[in-house]
Order: sequence, then structure tokens, then C-alpha cells
Amino acid sequence: MTTADRPERPQYRVIGTRAKRTEGPGKVTGTTVYTADVQLPRMLHAKMVLSPHAHARIVRIEGASALAVPGVSRVVTAADLSEAIRDGSNPAVNPSNRGDALIAHTEVVFAGQPVAVVLGESLAAAEEGAAALLVEYEPLPAVLDIEAAMRADSPLARRPAGAVDRSEESAHVTIDVHAEESGSAPTNISSHVSFSRGDIATGFAESEVVYEHTWRSATLHQGYIEPQATVADFQPATGELVVWTTTQGQFHERDTIMKTLKWPETKLRVIGPELGGGFGGKMAQSSPLVSALAVIAKRPVKLVYSRKDDLLAGRPATGALVKIKTGMKRDGTLMALEASVAYDSGAYPGAPAATGALLMSSFYRWPHLKVDGYEVLTNHVSAGAIRAPGVHNVMQAVEQNIDEMARQAGLDAAEVRLRNAVRTGDPMSSGKEFPAIGLVETVERAQSHPLWQHRDEVRAASTSTKKRGVGLAIGGWLGGLQPAAAELFLNSDGTVNGVTGALDISGTNTSFAQIVAEEMNLPLEKVSITTGDTRTAPFAGMSAGSKTLFTMGKALRDAAIDLRQQMYEVAAERLEANPDDLEVDGGEVRVKGVPTKNISYERLAAITTGFGALYKPLVGRGTVTARVQAPGFTAQIAEVEVDTETGFVEVKNYASVQDVGFAINPMSVEGQLEGGSVQGMGIGLWEEYIYDDSGRLRNAGLLDYRMPTAADVPDIDSTLVEVPSEDGPYGARGVGEPSITAGGAALANAIADAIGARVPMMPATPERILRAMGKLGGSEAAGG
Amino acid sequence: MAKIAYTLHVNGEDHEVYAEPNLTLLEVVRDELRLTGAKEGCGTGDCGACTMHLDGENVTSCLVLGVEAQGRDVLTIEGLAQDGKLHPLQQAFIDHGALQCGFCIPGMILSGVALLERNPHPTREEIRQGIAGNLCRCTGYTKIVDAIEAVATGVAH
Ligand code: FES
Ligand code: FES
Repeated sequence: MTTADRPERPQYRVIGTRAKRTEGPGKVTGTTVYTADVQLPRMLHAKMVLSPHAHARIVRIEGASALAVPGVSRVVTAADLSEAIRDGSNPAVNPSNRGDALIAHTEVVFAGQPVAVVLGESLAAAEEGAAALLVEYEPLPAVLDIEAAMRADSPLARRPAGAVDRSEESAHVTIDVHAEESGSAPTNISSHVSFSRGDIATGFAESEVVYEHTWRSATLHQGYIEPQATVADFQPATGELVVWTTTQGQFHERDTIMKTLKWPETKLRVIGPELGGGFGGKMAQSSPLVSALAVIAKRPVKLVYSRKDDLLAGRPATGALVKIKTGMKRDGTLMALEASVAYDSGAYPGAPAATGALLMSSFYRWPHLKVDGYEVLTNHVSAGAIRAPGVHNVMQAVEQNIDEMARQAGLDAAEVRLRNAVRTGDPMSSGKEFPAIGLVETVERAQSHPLWQHRDEVRAASTSTKKRGVGLAIGGWLGGLQPAAAELFLNSDGTVNGVTGALDISGTNTSFAQIVAEEMNLPLEKVSITTGDTRTAPFAGMSAGSKTLFTMGKALRDAAIDLRQQMYEVAAERLEANPDDLEVDGGEVRVKGVPTKNISYERLAAITTGFGALYKPLVGRGTVTARVQAPGFTAQIAEVEVDTETGFVEVKNYASVQDVGFAINPMSVEGQLEGGSVQGMGIGLWEEYIYDDSGRLRNAGLLDYRMPTAADVPDIDSTLVEVPSEDGPYGARGVGEPSITAGGAALANAIADAIGARVPMMPATPERILRAMGKLGGSEAAGG
Repeated sequence: MAKIAYTLHVNGEDHEVYAEPNLTLLEVVRDELRLTGAKEGCGTGDCGACTMHLDGENVTSCLVLGVEAQGRDVLTIEGLAQDGKLHPLQQAFIDHGALQCGFCIPGMILSGVALLERNPHPTREEIRQGIAGNLCRCTGYTKIVDAIEAVATGVAH
């Protein structure tokens, strides 16, 4: 790892260091508790029964055969759900969004949709009952291809319902643009957004190099290794509902249960145990259903998705169809972008149409542009978020077009990017101005990287059947915004404890502790930050959208400053000094320049907590809301070797450069870059939902849904660029999302460099590569 | 299915089990013995999150029946640290930042330990092959390979 372009900045002691993860010992010894580890007395186990049909009417559900299985206690169908809803309503009747469709009611709209849940005394009993349950369907015409679905005469994927719920998209994204909901006549296009600038005809008239292409990308799974799980405990006597669930945001989970079950939040406690990965996919997927089951059964209920359940009935990331035409002058000046992206949202809304259209058109200075984003409903499983939802789909298109135009003009593709990259203050396609950004610095670092510099030698090392190539692509993410709050307490031994409601997925509690240790001038081991739950912690947003450290880190810094100030006030009185003349050092508050005039943190704790103490307890509080985003950009370089006989791709080397603003913990930040880069490789080469002609998923297991293993990928050479953000703590930016956005495109460009042909669909599987080389007949199955 | 009684030798101790004979070793260890360090990520032998050692050999415990482990030495992640002291590989994972969400880590570490027992001085490529049965979605593997390599070469971080 190298850190480049580090600007002049204050000398920090704890932040900016490679602190070890505070929760590491629990994780390496297996003592850390995850949701599926929770086991309660009298707990029932739930097993979902999933529809084998992509679109069908449910004719009949016959529970008797399931109930005949010993140990099966109940079969719950959609009709039963009103038992669990406080006002007796039933959200599953004609739902407008996936969240309300807890169990399919009369009609299934994707293969994998739950039609019933069997509850049993053991998991084995519930599974046996689920297998025995008799469900009769009457198949309906299924809409399975994005382009066909968009036609005005297409059958509808689903009966039109009421207002559309956009919580899935807004969970990750902060953009000002609001899409128009589609108009009067119901179609499968549930959302359409467009941006334009200049005059597109003029743009192409003035272009000397034009490239036009259609790019497809597959639906894929977030791939967290921990499947979705919820344990809900309902106490009929008190009306208390306590829920442990795999979630990226406890308060979002609580609010979703409250809205779905109409449950008062005073009687609701959501606990997010350690999370085994989320990547945008762990957001109120199973907790409302399991909460309802516990209320219905009046006993604790546990549901753990099998991997098959998770692939079939989760909320994967959207596949997309991008049509794009770009124009450039011979000298490399970009002139015109005309494009549309249509996301396959599956049976319910949730696709990032606005995000995709915006980000597709905002990373370069296009003088003329016209872009459209569509959210299209089909009878595939409905989509959710992923790291930087929707971005890899559009970067695949934009970055291959740029690459191809550079090639045609005989220019260095990095140079073209550099020349046209957006700078601080430039407008996005929505018209909004970019805050401080470091795209140029990021591309410069990538351009000077040896992997890019030596690309000619790499290519020259090709043999007749092993072709080598190097590809570069950029990507980025605007960054999420959400209010956040944190509290800090001075302990009797002079240490500091803190609590937030933010789930720690990527090492944030360690980074938070670093921030507090920095501000309190304490060694790191004297600070501990805990994730509380919805009853014990102040509000926190989701750990999603690359904003946890960006927002909560600020709240902790403010809380530490607040705590310090309170300590100064008490100390000033004791030391007969002015609070402004005080400083913290070595676990003491001291008068600046007079180190002998001091009071220890222990003493301050004693005189603010002891029996009969004169001073108020010291509780530091930080509440923030961030208004200025901190976009993060990445540039990634892939070196590949393509076997032209088998179509097999080996990734030989990989470099990932990213502007992180300021790395509070470089080790954690590198970890994010490395993980995101490898996830991007999965997108580019292997991962894909493969459907059959009737819309059934053919690869609902980890053997066939291929995620990268250690043997599939090389080391990631990461470079952190630090161009400070205006509003992030110490200049930090969100780092989680950008890293996933460029990998697919970088690999596509590397493959094209190696074989001299473009693969029109991601992932670039051996079959598609051979077909692109003209070695295999046939064409891409629509949508597949 | 009728339950049966049998004994499992796990982490150096005998445990009486009374459970259905069709339960997997993973289910018995997690749900009956309440040792939940081993995780279920797939249940089909494809992710490695459930990795344990059986007589010193790596197994995916979701594919082994509990009764098949009778009379054999079962090692789970809980048994790796001795007398409150972490195994060097556990420490190396912490030192190298080779963990994020942690869900894959118990299995990953046990695979790493088995690899180093078979081949004390693996190359980075051999390390990658040795842990190829353990999926990790968070780390991208680079730091995991670093951690195993550090123990193999005796370079403490
Ligand atoms: S749970 Fe056993 S290999 Fe995945
Ligand atoms: S650390 Fe999350 S899966 Fe490996």
C-alpha cells in the first residue's frame, strides 16, 4: 500500500494510524455473537415455502399435509398476517412494495416469493412440513426481459398498486433528483428520470470519433457470507417485542417493523448483533415477517435463510441494459453523451434509476448530454441495494466507450480521462455542483502506476493462445448523508466509554475510538465504543451508503469536544483557572504551560459522580447532520491473461487507487478497497443470476453462483489518495462504495486490450469471450 | 426421528450428545453443545464457514454427520487458543487487519492452521490454494494471505 498526495496537515497521534481492530479477539476466537447464534427457550423454527413460478395465481394452500408432520405447530399464510397487525389490517394484500409483501397473497410475482411459512419445534420438523405443504398454482404470463417489459403492449409483471415506496433506494443514496412516477396507463416502467445539457445533435456534429454500443449486466447477489436471519421474541403478557436481526441499521429495522405491524416503538426493541456482511442487502428483509410470526405464534420464532433461500428470496442487485453513444474530438475532448439505462427491478420497485442516470453522466465534463434512467418491473426477484447500487452497470458502459474512443483516436485512455474528468465546482448532470473532489489526483496516480506504464510490455508477452492485456477504469460514489448522534461517558478510572447505534461492519468502532482517543489525548486502549440497540443508543442511520464514519465519526468528534469542554469547566473551578487556558494531556486536564497545575481524569470522574459530589456527571454528546456530500472516486487497473482456446481469464495483477479524503485507519480503509475490488472482479468475471426460460433461477447455490475465492484473484495493490473533503471528520470521505464500481469495467477493458474484441455482457464468462472472438455461434439469451 | 445418545470429543473434552442421528456435526456442535464459533454460510460444502478439524484434517462440518465424529478428535475455533493465549495465526489475523465482518474468520483460520501443519512454508500461491475452500466477501483475501504468510515466515508484525 502506498499513500499518495497527502497534504500538509496537523500532527495526529491516534487517527491516521493502523490501529488493530478492537473487536478482533472475539472474532478470531469464535466468541462473537451473530444473529443465528441466538437461541431462546421455547423457540419455534420457521421455514419458508417459496414459489416455483415466476408469475402465478395461488389457487389453494392445503395445510393438512404439513401439519401432519410431527413437530409442525402451524402453517402461516398471507391471510393470517392480520392477526399480527395491531389494527387488524393486512399489508400483504395488494402491496405496493416488497416490504409489505411479507407473504404472497393470492398471486406470486417472482419465483422464490414466499407463499407460506411453516413453524416447527425443530428446524428439521419445519423443513419437513414445508416440503409436505400442498400449494396449487395457476401460472400467468411472466415478463422476463427488460426490453420486452418496457414495450407499451407488454403484459404487466404485477397488478398496479398504490403509491410506490422508495425507501430501498433512498437508504443508500442521497440525491436531490426525484424521478417522475409513471403516468396514468399502467406499464412496467415504474420510474423514469432524465438529465440533459447543451444540444446533443451539436455535440455529435462536432465529434470526430463516435462509438455506440449496447451493454448488458447481470443480476447478482451481495454475497454476504452470513445468510439473512431474525429471532423475534414476543411476550404476550407485556406486549414487548424484542428482535435480533441481521441488519445494517437497527433504527431502520425498528421503524419498518413499527410501520408494518403498527407496533408502538415503546414496546419494540431491535438488537443488531455483529453483522456477517451486508453490502446493501441487509435492510429489513426478514425482521418484519419474523416479528409477525412471533406475534401470531405467541412464542419466540427463529428464521435463518438457507443459502438457497437467500439467493431466491433475497433482494439481489439489479441487472441492467445500457444503450450508449459517445462522441469525442480527435484531441481527446469529450463532446457528447447520449444514453439510457434500464434496470431490471424485478417485481417491485427498488432499482437505482436516478442514481444510475446521474452517475453515468456526471464524472466527465460532457458539454452535451442526454441520459435517461428507467426502473422496469419484471417477474424476477425484486432488487435491493448493493455497494454503490447501479453504478457498476453504468460504469461498464461509459468506461468501455471512453476506452474504445481513445483506442480509435490513438490516445492514452488515462490521458483522455484526465483531460475530461470533473473537478471541484464542476456541475453534475443534475446541475448541482461537485464539492471538493479528487478524481484528477486519483487518475493521475493510476496513470503513473507501473501496471499502466508497462502495458505495452504486458501485451508483448502474449503468446498465440494466451493473450495479455491491461485495462483501466474509473468509478465513484457521491456519498450518503444522514443525521447521527453519539454519547461519551468519563469512567471512574479515567477511561472513556461511548455508545452509538451504528453497526460496525468494517471496523468503524475502532475508528470511532481512534477519534475519541485523539480528541481526549488518551491512548487508544483507554477508549471503548459500543454499539447499543434501539432502546439504549441514540439514533443512528444505516451502515450503508459509505456514510458511517463520515457522519457518526463527526458525531463522536463533537461528543469528545463536548466532554472535554465539560471537563474544562469543572477543572477551571478546581484549578482556579480560565477554561480557555486548559489542555488535556496524559489523562489530565492541565493549565497550559503550568503542567503542575492539573487534575486527573480519575479525579474529575470522582467529583462528578461520587456520593454528595458537587458537580454534574460528565456526558459528552454529539449530534450532527451532514449537508455536503463527500464523493469518492476510484481508478482501477487490471492485467489479464485470456486463454483464447477456452475463454478462461486469469487476473494477473490488480491495482486500486482511491481518494479516501483522510484515512482515519489506513488498515481498515485498505481492507475496504481490497474487498470492494475483488467484489468488482466477481461482477466482471463470474457472478450472475442465471434464469431459465420460465424465470426460475438455475444457480441457487454457491457452487454455481460463483464468488471469487482466494485462488481466483491476485493481491490487490492499493493506493490511498487523500484529498480532504469539506465536511467529513478530518477530511475523511466514505470509502466503502467507490471500490466496487470500477472493477467490472477495468476487467472488460483489459480483456478487450488482450483479445481485440468487446464482450457485450458482464460477467465476461468464457462462453461470452469465445463468442465475442467469433469462436462460438449463437447470441446472448435475452436478459440472461 | 428418534434421538440417540453418543459422545463427542470436542476441543479436548468429552461431551454427551442426545440428538437425532441425522443432524450434521455443525448442527450438533452449534445447537446442542452451544459452541457457535463455526458458522453456516451455505450448508452445502461450498463456503467453508463451518470448517472444523477432524483428527487434524480440515472438514466442512455441514457435510459430516454428528455421529460420524464419534471417537474422533474434533477441533473447533473455540479450542484453538490455549490457556487464554491466542494461536499465532489468530494473532496474525488481528495484526494484519485480515478480518472485517468476521463471519468467515473461524473457518478461515482453521484452514490456515491445517495448511501450515501440512506445509509449514507455503508460497503465497500455495496459501491461496490452501484457503480456496473458504469464501470471504469482505477482505478480498490480500490481508488474509499476508497474515498466514507472516506466521509461515515467522515475521511478527
Ligand atoms: S456451511 Fe459448510 S461449507 Fe458452507
Ligand atoms: S470477513 Fe466478512 S466474510 Fe470474511
